[in-house]
Amino acid sequence: MPCPGTLSVLSAGSAATSTATATATSRLVLLLPLRRPGAVFSASRSTIAFPSRETSPFVNRDKPTAIARSITTSTSTTTRFPRRHLPHTHQHHHVVRRQYHSHDHPPPPGPFTPAESALLGAAYTHVAAQGFSREALALGARDAGLLDISPSLLLGGSDGGVFALIWWHLYTQRNALAAKAAALFASEIDGSPGGSKDATAATPSLGGIGGGIRTVSERVEMLAWARLQGNDEAGVVGRLQEALAVMAQPSYVPASLKELALLADEILYLAGDVSVDPSWYTKRASLSAIYAAAELFMTTDQSPGFRETRAFLRRRLNEAAEVGSAVRSAGEWLGFTASAAVNVLRSKGVRI
Amino acid sequence: MAAAPGALRRALPSIRSAIVQVHPQNKSQLTRLFSTSLPSQRLDSSSSSSSSSTPEYAIPDPSRPTHFGFETVTEGEKRERVAGVFTSVAESYDRMNDLMSFGWHRVWKDHFVASLNPGFSPLTAGPDPRGSQHILDIAGGTGDIAFRMLHTAHVLNNNPSVRVTMSDINRAMLTVGKQRASALPASQQAALSFVEANAEDLTRTRPLQPLSDAEKATTKHAFFDPATATSSIPSNSVDLYTVAFGIRNFSNIPAALREARRVLKPGGVFACLEFSKADKHPLFNALYKEWSFRAIPLIGQLVAADRDSYQYLVESIERFPSQEEFRDMIVDAGFVVAGDGYEDLTGGVAAIHKGMKPRA
Ligand SMILES: C[S@@+](CC[C@H](N)C(=O)[O-])C[C@H]1O[C@@H](n2cnc3c(N)ncnc32)[C@H](O)[C@@H]1O
Repeated sequence: MPCPGTLSVLSAGSAATSTATATATSRLVLLLPLRRPGAVFSASRSTIAFPSRETSPFVNRDKPTAIARSITTSTSTTTRFPRRHLPHTHQHHHVVRRQYHSHDHPPPPGPFTPAESALLGAAYTHVAAQGFSREALALGARDAGLLDISPSLLLGGSDGGVFALIWWHLYTQRNALAAKAAALFASEIDGSPGGSKDATAATPSLGGIGGGIRTVSERVEMLAWARLQGNDEAGVVGRLQEALAVMAQPSYVPASLKELALLADEILYLAGDVSVDPSWYTKRASLSAIYAAAELFMTTDQSPGFRETRAFLRRRLNEAAEVGSAVRSAGEWLGFTASAAVNVLRSKGVRI
Repeated sequence: MAAAPGALRRALPSIRSAIVQVHPQNKSQLTRLFSTSLPSQRLDSSSSSSSSSTPEYAIPDPSRPTHFGFETVTEGEKRERVAGVFTSVAESYDRMNDLMSFGWHRVWKDHFVASLNPGFSPLTAGPDPRGSQHILDIAGGTGDIAFRMLHTAHVLNNNPSVRVTMSDINRAMLTVGKQRASALPASQQAALSFVEANAEDLTRTRPLQPLSDAEKATTKHAFFDPATATSSIPSNSVDLYTVAFGIRNFSNIPAALREARRVLKPGGVFACLEFSKADKHPLFNALYKEWSFRAIPLIGQLVAADRDSYQYLVESIERFPSQEEFRDMIVDAGFVVAGDGYEDLTGGVAAIHKGMKPRA
């Protein structure tokens, strides 16, 4: 898959941690005002934020949230970074800005060309019935008034666009979280506790304050759950093992991990996590691992409304403070993914 | 591109000394890579048949300058010289491909065809009511791509309705292809046809008239003459247009892309496999260039006794635009792309470019 720089996510999780401390500290001062929800940026602060970003060894690939929050205009981002990296920044930006500005922004360009979006968007509606498969892609092409051969336009090796379809799923589901967050947390932003029935219904019983201002952890849990529900809403839960088996193929692992990291990033950002201390990376790593484990749990969960999955998710998040839990979850994820991959390959007649 | 002549210049002395030691009589060839006495004033009238809205560069013009390896010649001249090259290498062609790519070309071709998955129809919806799939393999040479297409469509995808038209400007190459096709199962042979055509103007074609043995001995330039055309490839008639290791030989690539777009149905796919630039990996690139500029012409000399042709092949690879430039040409011709529009193979030694003709 053409996904430049996908390896950077790996460094973000491991080798980068020590450098992060210095970077994070230098940003701390600049970002402090943001800790207060609803704070308005002053123009001078945005200009101060630029130099630190330019000199940073960690240009905002893997840590765009802090930067997005520290500037009020995205012009420089637009010119400096390739198209593929923009949506993330823009999107954060969008959510932040909506608190201060009434006008709307055009949707982010996304990593897909219009032709890809037409093919993949149409194919996605067939995933529930046909799986992440060439069948779904060809049916989608027909829906879009195209030919059976049209999906072969998609790049990415000899699987004929199957990974592109999986990536579409991951990307659109992640992208949808911002709107879900806005709905879930509407009451908080409005300053009218309990104003949104949806939000109240979805409030987890994590020992927090119901209705009013929630803690970051509570919001993280709600968002991770909202993302998991997205799988159910799209009807693809029964297809996830298949997708995970594809994602576990060596050539797709970097891009898959990158998406997972971006999801963790998104959830923490939307939950209002603004900490820029050394825990920045570990938090993302544990959330990634917990989310991935919960998603795997979901693939075998038969309980009504995926109750068990949610219980699992909460348990893991509560444990997250304990040392080593992230490592354990990651190990579990790898083990499960590997066995899913083996099962799928076996079902295809490969002798392993 | 600026580095290219430099690389050649650096490579030449050592080639020269190698040759001078072994075959002193060959020295004259090195200063004159191609005979300049080739006929070059053939006029064809293809330009007059093109519509006035066509950009000027997209109209084939036999007198416009183009490149032949590192030489600048007219488009008409290039066409003749390319025909000469492929007439002389037609028989030793497979060996040449192996040399140029260290045998990788077979892997690339397999990958190319597998990624296109010709003949796949959704099982749940059944055959396409709009008719069976038609694949046009341009610059098809001796059939490597066309045969793989047939196998994938008919055997792997169990879809015997898929038809493949294999086309080339060179009757000698197509004749070898037709001979090779006789080893295919009868059903595949029945679905395969051979057409003589210049990729830059698919409105004037004719079914292959195989080169006889007598002709083989006497014909130097067995290229198709558009004045003898009896048929044409209709607009909106092709599902998949493929060109493998052919497009860099075309005199006028924009004209060929424009023709590709014309003959494709809306939703149809243009797919090109071609040698490309490995310059994202400098060390590897340097080694590959050394190999291609120094060794290949020499080996061509020894294996096929045809240094000029092999020298041309190496230079034409060097001349071909970068992945991004070629992608932009495809987009300029009116195709839409996915992702970056191309995929590198073996570090960029070759690349696959794809484009789709959008719905009107
Ligand atoms: C290197 S061969 C490739 C053959 C085959 N596609 C393969 O991959 O094995 C290049 C072919 O391009 C053909 N060719 C060159 N110029 C052409 C043109 N203007 N129109 C059609 N074919 C052309 C040559 O005759 C030659 O057969």
